[in-house]
Amino acid sequence: MVVYRDGTRAVEGISFSVNEGEFFGFLGPNGAGKSTTIKVLTTLLRKTSGRVSVSGFDLDKSPGEIRKAVGVLSQETSLDVDLTGWENLRLHGRLQQMSGQALDDRIAELLKLVQLEDVAKKPAGRYSGGMRKRLDLASALIHRPKLLFLDEPTTGLDTQSRVAIWEYLEGLNKNEGITIFLTTQYLEEADKLCRKLSVIDHGKLIANGTPSELKESIGGDAINLIFKDAAVKSKAKDILRTVPGVTDVMDSDGGVTAYARSAGQIIAGVITALDRAGIQPSFLSISSPTLDDVFLRKTGRRIRVDELTRKETEPFLT
Amino acid sequence: MTILYDTQSLVGRYLTKLIRNPTLLGTNLVTPVIFLVLFSQLLTKFGEFIPNAPGGYLAYLTPGVIMLNAMISAPLGGVSLANDLNSGFLSKMLLTQVRRPAILLGRLVTDMLMAVAESIITIVVAVAMGVQFSSGLPGVLLILVTVAFFEFALSGIFLTVGIRTRKTETISALSGVLFFPLIFISSAMFPISFFPSWAQTFSNYNPVSYASDVTRDLVVGGLTFNSLASAYVLIGVIAVLTFAATLVQFRKVVS
Repeated sequence: MVVYRDGTRAVEGISFSVNEGEFFGFLGPNGAGKSTTIKVLTTLLRKTSGRVSVSGFDLDKSPGEIRKAVGVLSQETSLDVDLTGWENLRLHGRLQQMSGQALDDRIAELLKLVQLEDVAKKPAGRYSGGMRKRLDLASALIHRPKLLFLDEPTTGLDTQSRVAIWEYLEGLNKNEGITIFLTTQYLEEADKLCRKLSVIDHGKLIANGTPSELKESIGGDAINLIFKDAAVKSKAKDILRTVPGVTDVMDSDGGVTAYARSAGQIIAGVITALDRAGIQPSFLSISSPTLDDVFLRKTGRRIRVDELTRKETEPFLT
Repeated sequence: MTILYDTQSLVGRYLTKLIRNPTLLGTNLVTPVIFLVLFSQLLTKFGEFIPNAPGGYLAYLTPGVIMLNAMISAPLGGVSLANDLNSGFLSKMLLTQVRRPAILLGRLVTDMLMAVAESIITIVVAVAMGVQFSSGLPGVLLILVTVAFFEFALSGIFLTVGIRTRKTETISALSGVLFFPLIFISSAMFPISFFPSWAQTFSNYNPVSYASDVTRDLVVGGLTFNSLASAYVLIGVIAVLTFAATLVQFRKVVS
C-alpha cells in the first residue's frame, strides 16, 4: 500500500501480513510511517493505492466490519477527562453497541484487568499518565476485539508503567488469543514482546522476521569503538576493514561499529592493528547484535529515541 | 440498536460534562436571570414609550432575553467539537461502531436542551416578576419548541466553524461579531419603530426578529398563522443551510 499525506509520500509501497494469534511489531524511528500505517489499517486514514484486508474484510468494501473486529489504542491517550474511568468505559461500550448487564459486567472485568477498580469513580482527568494509558487500553478492549492495534503504547511512560503494559499485552495475546499489532520505537520493547517484526524507515520496510532471525542476520557480534576525532576515526575504519575476521564496518553515533562472527577471537587482532597505526580508541565495547544493529546495517543510522529526554516522572499508581 | 441509542449515549456524555463543570453550567443558567432583571429594571420607564405594550417593557423584553440566551449558548457545541478534534477524542469515537451522524446529532440535541433549560428559567423568573403568559401552557410549550428549532439553526454555524478551524478562540470571536448586530438590530430587545430606517430594513430581514415576534405574540397575545409560518420557514431555511454546511465539513473529517 502507498499513502500520501499532505502531498508527501508517508508510506511507500509496503507489503506485509500478520497471522491470527501473532504478536507482531512495527519497529522504526519517529516519522518512519508507523502511525500512518495504523491509521490506514484502522479506517481512520485513506490509502492512496494498494489493497488491504483486515480480519478477513476488505478495507475499501467493509470498513464497518473492520471497526467491529479491531480495538485501537492510539498514540495520544484520548479519554474524556471530565468523565470518570467507569463512565469513559461505559460511553465507549455504548458506542460499540453494547448495553445492559453485559456491558456492566465487561466494564467490571476490564477495570480489574488494568487495576483501576479503586479509582473507577474518579474523573479520568485526575489519573496519572500510566493510569490513563491503562484506561485507554481497557476501552480499546471493551467490545472483545479479535485484533488489537497499539500505536506506541508505552511512549512517554515510566519504566514501571511500561512493564505493566507489557504484562497486560502478553497476557491478552497468550490467554485470550488476541492478535496484536504494535508499533514502537523502542528496541527493547520490540525484542521482548514481538514474535515477528517488520522494521520500517522513511515509509519503507527494510527488514522482516523474528527478532532472533533479524539479529542473526547481522552475522555475529558488534565491536563498538569511539575515537577522539573524525580524522582518526576515518583512518581507524580503513584499518578495521583489513583485520581478518571483521565482516563489516559502519559509522554509528559518533563512533564506529565493526561486526565479526566471534568478537572474542579477533579483539586482540583489532587492538594490535590499531596500535600499530598509533591509534587508541577512547572507548571500546563488545555486544551481541541488537535490533539497533539491524537498523544500522540497513540504514547506516541508529534508531534515535528520545529515551533520555522522555518524561520519567509519570507515577504508576497514585 | 439505532441512531437514537448513539445520540442518547452522546447527549448523556455532554450533559455529564456540563454537570462536572458547574461554572459553565451556572453561568449559562444564571445569564437569563441577569439579562431579564438588568434590562427590565434599567429601562422600566422605557415601556411607557412603547405603543401597544401590554405588561410593560418587562413583557416586551422576555422573548428577547429568551432568544439572546439561545444565541449565547449556541457556540458551546462548536467549542466542544473543536476540543474533541484536538484531543483525539473524535478519532477515538470514529474508531467505534457509532453511527456517524449521531456525533453531530448528540451535540445538537444537547445545545437544544441547554437553550430550552435556559428558556424555562427565563419564563419562571418572568412569571415571578409579574409577566402573564396569555397563551398559557400550550403557548409556553410552543415557545420552547421555537427556541429549540432556533438553537438548532444557530448551532450549525458554530459546529461548521469548530470543525473547520479547530480553534475555540475563533468561535468566541465570531459569536461576538455575529450576535451583537443580530440581537440588537432586531425586534428582540427594542421595538424597531425606534430605529433609523436602515436598521429597520435590516431588522425586517433578521431571523432573530421573526423568532422574537412569534415568542412575543405567545406572551402578550395576538399570534397569527402567518407570523408563525414565516418565522418557521425562515428558521427552517437557515437550519437546512447550517446543517448542510456542518455535514460537508464533518464528512471531510470522517473520511
